[in-house]
Amino acid sequence: MDKRKIEENIFKTLMILATFLIVVSLICILGTIFFKGFRSINLSMLIQTPESGYYIGKEGGILNAILGSLVLGVGATFLALTISIPVVLYLNFYLKKKSNFALGVRFLLDVLWGIPSIVYGVFGFTVMILLGLKASLLAGIITVGLLIIPVITRSLDEVLKKIPFELKEAALSLGATKLETAIIVVFRQALPGLTTAILIAFGRGIGDAAAVLFTAGFTDSIPYSIFKPIATLPLTIFFQLATPFPEVQERGYASAFVLIIIILLISMVSRVLSKRFEKNIVGK
Amino acid sequence: MDFKAHIEIKDLNVWYQNHKSLNNISVKIPGKKITAIIGPSGCGKTTLLKTLNRLIELQDNVKIEGNIYVDDDDIYGHNVEIINLRKKMGLLSQKPQVLPMAIYENVAYGPRIHGIKNKKNLDEIVEQYLKEVGLWSEVKNRLNSSALKLSIGQQQRLCLARGLAVEPEIILADEPTSALDPVSAKWIEEKFLELKKRYTIILVTHSLEQAKRIADYLIFLYQGNLIEYGPANQIFENPKYMKTKSYLAGKIIEDIKVDKELDIRGFAKSEISSKISYVLEKLSIGQVLKVITSSEQSVEELSRSIECEGHKVLELIRINKTDYEVYIQKRTATIYEI
Repeated sequence: MDKRKIEENIFKTLMILATFLIVVSLICILGTIFFKGFRSINLSMLIQTPESGYYIGKEGGILNAILGSLVLGVGATFLALTISIPVVLYLNFYLKKKSNFALGVRFLLDVLWGIPSIVYGVFGFTVMILLGLKASLLAGIITVGLLIIPVITRSLDEVLKKIPFELKEAALSLGATKLETAIIVVFRQALPGLTTAILIAFGRGIGDAAAVLFTAGFTDSIPYSIFKPIATLPLTIFFQLATPFPEVQERGYASAFVLIIIILLISMVSRVLSKRFEKNIVGK
Repeated sequence: MDFKAHIEIKDLNVWYQNHKSLNNISVKIPGKKITAIIGPSGCGKTTLLKTLNRLIELQDNVKIEGNIYVDDDDIYGHNVEIINLRKKMGLLSQKPQVLPMAIYENVAYGPRIHGIKNKKNLDEIVEQYLKEVGLWSEVKNRLNSSALKLSIGQQQRLCLARGLAVEPEIILADEPTSALDPVSAKWIEEKFLELKKRYTIILVTHSLEQAKRIADYLIFLYQGNLIEYGPANQIFENPKYMKTKSYLAGKIIEDIKVDKELDIRGFAKSEISSKISYVLEKLSIGQVLKVITSSEQSVEELSRSIECEGHKVLELIRINKTDYEVYIQKRTATIYEI
């Protein structure tokens, strides 16, 4: 065999190995969690709040954490969107393509993206103390919102950058304002990417423990006020795994399994939705 | 040329960063005619078209100087509502750019943003303009399906309908047939001939054949300079300047080699003619004299008198607001054609 063919084969094998490694580790994670927790997965876990003594092995479920995480995730995503959308529209429609300001903002967002979530948690905690807030759903939403703003902004930004320039021209030449062009035309074109960006950010927000550790607190009841603490799945997992009782640890794995299923559902929904929206966009 | 101009471009200069893309363009565009802008790639055709509806301003670092009057209003004036300006001009681009929505929505989009909300009115407008472009019978049963499912030719017709639905006075077309199949292209050309009764059409085209078939007036640009403009048949049959001749003949456009330069700015009018004759005398036949002169009136007169003497004006270029360059080739009394 000649040298180029060998080269080709070696690199192809490396690529297959790398792909295989990822798939296997994912299966291992899912498998471990499932086998360690499946004896505790039952309906009452999903529809009951913890009874007294749940954390030392008595009756109850994690409905408080499931609802808490969902409410927190949805709230934080909405908060992040209300800030991200104006930012990306400004960057992409009102600033010049090679604007230094836009470059700076993008760089800043990239840095924010890389900051560990515990730092956001600590920052949120500091702000809470300054404002005299207690650990609550509101504080959690704000902190997780801050955490996912860079994620959502940069993803949307990349989506909007790919909008064909001619499409903007077409809308503007009909006498549309920049805002009309952005909202009606570009958002339709960007909808598949937008959906994916939102759901990735939601997934990141719902799965994060460190940001909510100090800010959202923990409670055994389901969320009922934005000024009261809420429970979240990541923290539930953390508390359950930290106990010395094997039975409770098993429940921790079951909770992790529930969280993974929620994230899996989100990514499936995002795929289905963006496929559906893709039918209506230019260039497909 | 004596006509009432619909659009008048005066001393237009456009720079992209430091590159000058259009150089002192002054031209009148007649109403309800097809004016074709021709010239090799990169000569500024599209730039000129986009200065008309101010889409040019979307580019980074673009600088525009000069005036463009549409119906005697300066579109670069301070009080111009850019939205109303663009509403006046429908744009048909090279690649049909349908909006990412249903067929109906594509046509209704323009009227809707300009304030027509009544569903019945919109239905009528959509039907009227889809009929205008001959799409109605093809799409009337699937008005709510995505416009992207149409063929390219149909998409271009939809874009035309969409543009016409905002009731413009001017149609700007940027090589509208270059992405289309021959049948669709022919359809667009024929439609333009019909539309020019009601609209002023400005057409950028790479196809000389197309310009020959449908244009009433021609603007020939080369490297950002306006080389020649006038009635299309006149230019096609008898182009005045060398570059126009080469381009129309499909030859490579060469820069003129100058053998002698003469600056007559500031000379008295009476002296000019004799001065030029004197310098030409000393050149041998076929050599080129570049004369730098000022003020429009004397330039036209000058080139006429030079041609009368049997010499040939190869090119007349406006270099700034007042000054011109005239390239004269010395000939004998008998005129040889290139």
